[in-house]
Amino acid sequence: MIKRFLVNMWNAVTAVALAALVCAVVLALAIGAGALLGYPPIHLADLWLRGAAGSWYALSSSCADACPLLLTGLAAGVAFRAGVLNIGAQGQFLLGALVAVALTTRMMIFHQAELVIPTALIGGAVAGGLWGLIAQYLERYRSVPVVLSTILLNFVALYLAQAALQGPLQAVGTAAAESPEVAGKYWLPLFVPYTDFHIGIILALVLAILLWVLQQYTLFGFEARVVGLNPGTAKAMKMPVTIRQFQIMFISGACAGLGGAIQLLGQVHFMTAHMGNYGYAGIAVALLGRLNPLGIILSALFFGFLDTGAFRVEESSLALPHDMANVIKALVILVMLVLAGLSLRRARRAGRDAAGPSTPPMRESTL
Amino acid sequence: MAATPLALKLTGISKTFSGVSALEDVTLEVAAGGVHGILGENGAGKTTLMNIIAGLMRPDSGRVEVMGVPVPLGSVRAGRAQGIGMVHQHFKLVENQSVLDNIVLAVGKSLFSRSPRRLLRDINYWCRELNWPLDLDVPVGSLAVGRQQRVEIIKALCGGGKILILDEPTAALTPAEVDDLAMAVAGLTRAGMTVLFISHKLLEAVRICRTISILRRGKLVYSGTTTDLSVDQIAEKMVGAKVDVPRLTQLAGHTEIPPMLELVDVEYRDEKRGPPVLKQINMAVRPYEILGVAGVDGNGQSALAALISGAVNPTAGRIVHRSGGHGNARIPLGYIPEDRHKEALVLPLPIVSNLLLRSYRQRPFARWRFCRFGAWRKHSADLVRQYDIRCRRVEDAVATLSGGNQQKIVLARELSQQPELILAVNPTRGLDVGATAFVLRQLLEARERGAAIILIHGDLDELLSISDRVAVIHRGTLTITAWPDTTPAQIGRLMLGGM
Repeated sequence: MIKRFLVNMWNAVTAVALAALVCAVVLALAIGAGALLGYPPIHLADLWLRGAAGSWYALSSSCADACPLLLTGLAAGVAFRAGVLNIGAQGQFLLGALVAVALTTRMMIFHQAELVIPTALIGGAVAGGLWGLIAQYLERYRSVPVVLSTILLNFVALYLAQAALQGPLQAVGTAAAESPEVAGKYWLPLFVPYTDFHIGIILALVLAILLWVLQQYTLFGFEARVVGLNPGTAKAMKMPVTIRQFQIMFISGACAGLGGAIQLLGQVHFMTAHMGNYGYAGIAVALLGRLNPLGIILSALFFGFLDTGAFRVEESSLALPHDMANVIKALVILVMLVLAGLSLRRARRAGRDAAGPSTPPMRESTL
Repeated sequence: MAATPLALKLTGISKTFSGVSALEDVTLEVAAGGVHGILGENGAGKTTLMNIIAGLMRPDSGRVEVMGVPVPLGSVRAGRAQGIGMVHQHFKLVENQSVLDNIVLAVGKSLFSRSPRRLLRDINYWCRELNWPLDLDVPVGSLAVGRQQRVEIIKALCGGGKILILDEPTAALTPAEVDDLAMAVAGLTRAGMTVLFISHKLLEAVRICRTISILRRGKLVYSGTTTDLSVDQIAEKMVGAKVDVPRLTQLAGHTEIPPMLELVDVEYRDEKRGPPVLKQINMAVRPYEILGVAGVDGNGQSALAALISGAVNPTAGRIVHRSGGHGNARIPLGYIPEDRHKEALVLPLPIVSNLLLRSYRQRPFARWRFCRFGAWRKHSADLVRQYDIRCRRVEDAVATLSGGNQQKIVLARELSQQPELILAVNPTRGLDVGATAFVLRQLLEARERGAAIILIHGDLDELLSISDRVAVIHRGTLTITAWPDTTPAQIGRLMLGGM
């Protein structure tokens, strides 16, 4: 188990190192271009790095930014690996946040933080999971592809959140669609005071490792994999195909929903309908992490660092637009996809060579 | 041979794929205007060689000459310009487009360089020449496999082909269609074409081809006329050592044992109001016997297999499954499906995982819902040895194995559990002589152990050689024959609907 952990971790490290390399090249180019435009290059790089990891506080905000990405990344990774194409992490994330804000501001049954926080987190996760199940139900019993219904349900979730935030959940004395601030005692506790290190980060890490164990070591994980790669064989082997798909969808949606709840209680503390594109970014995180939970941890951290550093640069006197970070992220994903495609083609060629040209294309066995 | 001009000359063709040599220094001459067979087992390099001739692959070394002119390697366009047309084993047709559109699409630039009328004239010429009436306006997907093949051949001919490569053309055809194809091929050679006929079916090749080349493990082992060698000698050259098809020696006489599986008045319809695919099926199979179900493909075999494997339920009648205490049975049914890629294997997963797909839930392989990979690997290593699966490592993806080895994985998994009941559907389809013998032998061994075996098989010779009893399926009706008190010819007539 230790060995497999190390091997998986090593694969993830190499993938992310490669991404960092790509990022460095892009950054170097950007800095070069920046120099032409009058940005002092060394100063810029220095600011970026210090902004992402220059102090305990910077480090903590990078991690806090990586936390929701990790959870939406897990949502995408777990589902994709089992052949369930859940593109709906965005909607599930919003719904999780919505339920969490409702459970901490309006629908209060208890008032002890020890009870309210877990209820809100679990409520958010369950809401996200159930939201995902709608799509799976539509696919199984109404032949609507999951890809389509999850994307459409993202919009439903967005407008549902907007309606709730202008209705029952709206803060008193404002016209904007936003909720009141969550009372301080219901915020996720910090494990390092005066930073952004909230326990949601630890929770997400533990969840990632649990999912990794589930995926690599359990009968459930094995079955989910077989179901994802070849449902026909899974059925012939008497595997519970439909049940596994529903379970995977619930787990996936719950990860995203938990992400929303943690982001709300740990980071932003009040809700608007625009809580960032964590759901969609999660797909990229999952792809960079090669759908492996350990890899997703690293790729989420990578994206978090990139993002936070960029904010610091934007706030500084240089005022380099934060969109630069998004440009870099997009380029990194593109390069990684190209590289993955190349290695896939190599693997396919190797497979075809050995088995003759009539064999269907082989997918990379790590995917 | 020196008298006739050479249509094709290959010199020193070699090709390696990631370290594995697929072709080694193949030098081959094909005379113009005849049918030349390329024989060899699966994985011998036949298709690779043809792909190189057609320009789909680049050899590592070697030369290709057509009619004495060197052809640039690795270019389909150049190959086509020299008159090489290839009909692939898996057709390259756009199914929802019409026959005409498919031909236009393939002939390529013809829309500009040649008038459609001339193309139509070409099509009509070849249709008449081969005596193949073709409806040009129907979508290709609506045609039967044999017809689709005709479209492919016409397509290659209209592309200006002088040398036609047919890759395993008979694999998907019924016996009658094979005869038809043989006639057409003869017609083509009369029209001056050279045909390369790729096959691993020996008898067919000998019947159709005048000259043959035999490949074994990437090397050319024989090139010459078919009359110089006996069928046995050819088989030996293909396989390397002499292999005989296993044969049942003693018939089962265990009529007193109650049947393991019984179908009583079973009827099955695909759609609620559709016509029945299976009508009034009554059959029983006992331990220690092989019940062979013969028939031309598409007469209800797949529905019968789906019913017995439990994938679908009968619309009428019942299936009685008795579990007798014979043998060391742990699972009720060992199933060797017709399409192993769809129903038996997960190609991207390693050999280990595929070998464990049946038993991963059971005791030594799982504990507290966790996989015990140590036990998996040990079990797989045993099976790999026992069933002679040729692989580098058990962690390799199944997709990297040849068809025969993939089938061995299915057999190893399904038979090692010592099932009481075995259902095998076309278990040797697409396998070479050696692998075929292996599969049949394994079924016979399972029978010795006391398994009840249902063998639904399109190859009548193999079926008759190992079955205790034979049933014939025709248009959804099953008839139990008096085999062995009847002749193969009579069974053949039953398969075609005669009495």
